[in-house]
Amino acid sequence: MFFLKEETKVITMHPSYFGPNMREFLIARLNEEEEGRCTGDHFVICVMDMVDIGEGRVVPSSGSAEYTIKYRAIIWKPFRGETVDAIVTSVKPTGIFTLAGPLSVFIARKNIPSDIKWEPNTVPPQYTDHADQVIEKGTSLRLKILGVKPDVAAINAIGTIKEDYLGPL
Amino acid sequence: MSNFLNQDFGSDEEDDDFNPAPAEDSDVEDAKPAKRRASPEDAADDVKYDRDDAEDDDAKDDDADEGAEDGDENGDDDEDDDEDDEQAVERPRKRRRGGVHSFFEEEAGVDEEEDEAEDEEDELAEFGTEMHPDDLDALPAGAETDDRRHRQLDRQRELDATMDAEKQAQMLKERYGRNRAAATDALVIPKRLLLPSVEDPSIWGCRCKPGKEKEVIYSIQKRMEERPANSRNPIRLISAFERGNIMQGWFYCEARRQADVTDALEGIAFYYPSQKMTLVPVKEMPDLLRVQKSEELMPGGWVRIKRGAYQGDLAQIEEVETNGLNVTVRLVPRLDYGMNDDNAAMLGPDGKRKRATVNKVRPPQRPFSEAEAKKKHAKYLSATSGLGGKSWSYLNETYIDGFLIKDMRVQHLITKNVNPRLEEVTMFARGGEDGTANLDLASLAETLKNSTAEDSYQPGDPVEVYRGEQQGLIGRTVSTRGDIVSLQVTEGDLAGQTIDAPIRTLRKRFREGDHVKVIGGSRYQNELGMVVQVKDDTVTLLSDMSMQEITVFSKDLRLSAEMAADGQLGIYDVHDLVQLDAATVACVIKVDRESLRVVDQNGSLRNVLPTQIANKLAPRRDAVATDRNGAEIRNGDTVREVYGEQRSGVITHIYRSFLFLHNKAQTENAGISVVRTTNVVTVSARGGRPTGPDLTKMNPAMAMQAPGGGNPNMPPPRRAGRDRLIGKTVAVRKGRYKGLVGIVRNADDTTATVELYTANKPVLISRDILVPKDPISKQTLDIGGGRPGSRVPSYSGSGAQGGGWQGGRTPMAAGDSSRTPAWGGSSSRTPAWGGLSGSRTPAWKNDGSRTSNPYAEGNRTAYGGLGNRTPAWNSGSRTPHDSGSGYDAFASGSRTPAWGNAGAGNRTPAWGGLPNSRDQRDFDDAPTPGGNYSAPTPGAYGAPTPGASAPTPGAWAESAPTPGGAFSAPTPGGLPKRGGYDAPTPAAFDAPTPAMGGIAATPGAGYGDDDGGPRYDEGTPSP
Repeated sequence: MFFLKEETKVITMHPSYFGPNMREFLIARLNEEEEGRCTGDHFVICVMDMVDIGEGRVVPSSGSAEYTIKYRAIIWKPFRGETVDAIVTSVKPTGIFTLAGPLSVFIARKNIPSDIKWEPNTVPPQYTDHADQVIEKGTSLRLKILGVKPDVAAINAIGTIKEDYLGPL
Repeated sequence: MSNFLNQDFGSDEEDDDFNPAPAEDSDVEDAKPAKRRASPEDAADDVKYDRDDAEDDDAKDDDADEGAEDGDENGDDDEDDDEDDEQAVERPRKRRRGGVHSFFEEEAGVDEEEDEAEDEEDELAEFGTEMHPDDLDALPAGAETDDRRHRQLDRQRELDATMDAEKQAQMLKERYGRNRAAATDALVIPKRLLLPSVEDPSIWGCRCKPGKEKEVIYSIQKRMEERPANSRNPIRLISAFERGNIMQGWFYCEARRQADVTDALEGIAFYYPSQKMTLVPVKEMPDLLRVQKSEELMPGGWVRIKRGAYQGDLAQIEEVETNGLNVTVRLVPRLDYGMNDDNAAMLGPDGKRKRATVNKVRPPQRPFSEAEAKKKHAKYLSATSGLGGKSWSYLNETYIDGFLIKDMRVQHLITKNVNPRLEEVTMFARGGEDGTANLDLASLAETLKNSTAEDSYQPGDPVEVYRGEQQGLIGRTVSTRGDIVSLQVTEGDLAGQTIDAPIRTLRKRFREGDHVKVIGGSRYQNELGMVVQVKDDTVTLLSDMSMQEITVFSKDLRLSAEMAADGQLGIYDVHDLVQLDAATVACVIKVDRESLRVVDQNGSLRNVLPTQIANKLAPRRDAVATDRNGAEIRNGDTVREVYGEQRSGVITHIYRSFLFLHNKAQTENAGISVVRTTNVVTVSARGGRPTGPDLTKMNPAMAMQAPGGGNPNMPPPRRAGRDRLIGKTVAVRKGRYKGLVGIVRNADDTTATVELYTANKPVLISRDILVPKDPISKQTLDIGGGRPGSRVPSYSGSGAQGGGWQGGRTPMAAGDSSRTPAWGGSSSRTPAWGGLSGSRTPAWKNDGSRTSNPYAEGNRTAYGGLGNRTPAWNSGSRTPHDSGSGYDAFASGSRTPAWGNAGAGNRTPAWGGLPNSRDQRDFDDAPTPGGNYSAPTPGAYGAPTPGASAPTPGAWAESAPTPGGAFSAPTPGGLPKRGGYDAPTPAAFDAPTPAMGGIAATPGAGYGDDDGGPRYDEGTPSP
């Protein structure tokens, strides 16, 4: 689910950046550091705007300045039960690896409908029901997230396509 | 007490409630045990008591209460003090009484009903008769003669008569109903109230012939039938029982007195009267009758074989005969089909068949194969086709579907703690797609449940009651006591309540997506994974480590808070790099209970024991290698193999030229593969190292310079220690004090306090506009007073040289390496020095102190000769570049133009000479001092510089003279202002650049970071 979240970040600026364009540098730095970041809990999709750029504070002994920036960002926190679209990155006998945006979702064999079978002899290997459903690398899937396992700087999820309206698009 | 009586009275008069008696007794301290036992079973007694009391109550309230109380107490005393007497009186009642009930509830129930039936009509009459023994004592003196009770009785009868039958039935039901409930459902009465007390009959343990306990009991039973209670010589046993195998040679009789037992057992066969009978302590009575529920064998359950060829093997119960003693089991055969028993067929010398060797190798468990059996034992094999399919008879055993079907006695089976392992059980799976599909996991779970360890439920586990009254409850365990689990209900109407439930009605509850750990009971112990499917008792989880699906029982799982840390064996963890021997390292891919599975640097898999591992290699974060294209790769980078399987993955370890890659999408080897560094190309680097945005682009100073080749202006490094300007004679170059001369008293980075000769007072003047002067000759000095930056060019007259190596550096955009040729150049400078020293010395001598002191490393090295200078320069020039930290902004690339454009001759050496001043350089307004100090430089040393360059050519070749010439000319002109500066610079550069190009490139190319030293050394001797 997407949220608009207000967060704060402390950015340290080297003195060489002090100058008229500092604000731009700060914003550029913020965007660069924050966008696409995964906290283990959510992904920061996009920094929307700065709510407040605090006054810089020179750090004693280094000369760098610390800026506390309040900003709003669109974040995505995957939830159990959320239905997402994903792209298959690889298919293995054990299941399907997909990417739903930044989130890697694994669909275990158990969570693939029983009529969609592993077909290792095709090139590339695929899961197929020998009809119109073919899942191979690059296929778009609609899947439901079954569980989310947060890690230090990553999120792993498992999903299912064994429900109505789920599967290859 | 009066309270108690009153209550009872009230209820008795309405004849509606005896039930509270036991409970209320417990509240009233005075109530005596006798009364306490006056439980509903003992209705007759109670009625009697209550009647008494009621009468009293009617008549004279308080007095009567006291009397009744006394009476009660008397009765109690009787019981307590004089058991025998009391028993003599009470026995007839006792037989129907409560004590027995706690053991034989059904009998008690029957008893009650009989009572009810017979009592209904002559209830009162019986009360009358029974009333006597106790109540005569209980009643106050003169009560016998009092007719109040008769009148009460009459009234009662009248009342009963007027009551319609239905009401009466209702009343009776209320009165006795609970007893029936107690008889049928033990749960209603708290068990502790049914426990025997000292008031209850005692139990004696008697000896008999072991194995004949049952027969003894039967004979006692027979005797009791022959001599019932109302006969002339009744058997006064209340009950008799035996405990079978648990207490062999013992049986137990319940009676009031030991004499009764002796009497009853006289002449009973197999009873050993000579051995003393033991009185069972009250405390141990319940234990005597504790029922250990015999293992109920159900078809589909699992057992093990106690002995024989299949000893210890798991068997599945096919069928249980009704007697519960014979069981048909299904086994995986262990047959060798006569392959190994040739000798068995041989005849011994005596013509008898030799016994097969006893310690024959036990054939492995395999499904029966008729083909194999036909090979040698065709004669023993016969096919029979039954209803369910074909079965084989082989060596007098029946084989169906490859399994051995065998009738066995229960004694030959192990039915407890069978603990079937999943792999054993899978052998019984018939035709399942994956071996587990057809498995009757439910029955397996059932078997396992019986052996559920207490500790498999820990506080906080989510559980679900799946059978029993509380089926469907969902909660979390709070505590565990034996096999009772307290759980706090989390969902539904009972949410928040704490409920006790036996373990066997519980199962752990997991949701799909839960991250769980296998805690025991299976070979997947310590595996971590995410639940993908939950089906009754079995949970399928996806292992984090191997990405494989594992099916285990929910009881073997726990919710895991651990992240990705998989099972550990001692200090070794999955994906650790370990040293196997001096030449071999390996990456752990699986941690079993005792061994590790590793993939070594050659890609081969092995199982090793922890003891075989020399040591664990701590991950080196700074390990660096180069890929096929020469790009730097580090741990955490994603690389792809160029040839072969084109495996890709994230580098987890770098060992010499081997990379251990981890790829999540790869199931084998826990995602680990080994590649050589020369076979990979970088896909992406961790933290976007090479691909990431260049921070230097964000640096305003750099941005300013980069496009137009504007003034790069490297700030001169700050010099450590005392400011050299202090104490110097200076002239003010411009401003209010222009032209005045004074002595610097104090100085900081930007300003100096100058004591002017004229004003004789200290004034604060920007040091930019100060020019050091010789105090005597008033000639402008550079070195002494100036900052290090300005000093260098001036002393060496290296305007030329500086230009020269500047030129060398310029084309090399890549910082360090580009400077190297310069150093080559600098080494060539040394002879110049030597040649020049004569001419320069006087100048130097002007200020003796300056000669040695003001010269920082850079300068001093020049004097010290090449050997010294090289390292000094080395460190000086390179350090700032190498130390990445704060310095990234000044990546070498960005610095180059600065060098190129600046009249950098001045600054560069300074910079190199004083490595410590890095920070200063960053902060300082670079151009200003540079401009300043460069100004005097040419003035003072313009002359010597060319001279210096003149001798150089031998060593220096092209570059030396070129810049020299070029530089010396423009410098004076251009110096005063920055603007002017720009103009000549290109000129200077154009010339040397191409010339130096060749030189510069060479060292630059081969330039590893650490090779710098040797390079210099090589260069040094050449001149």
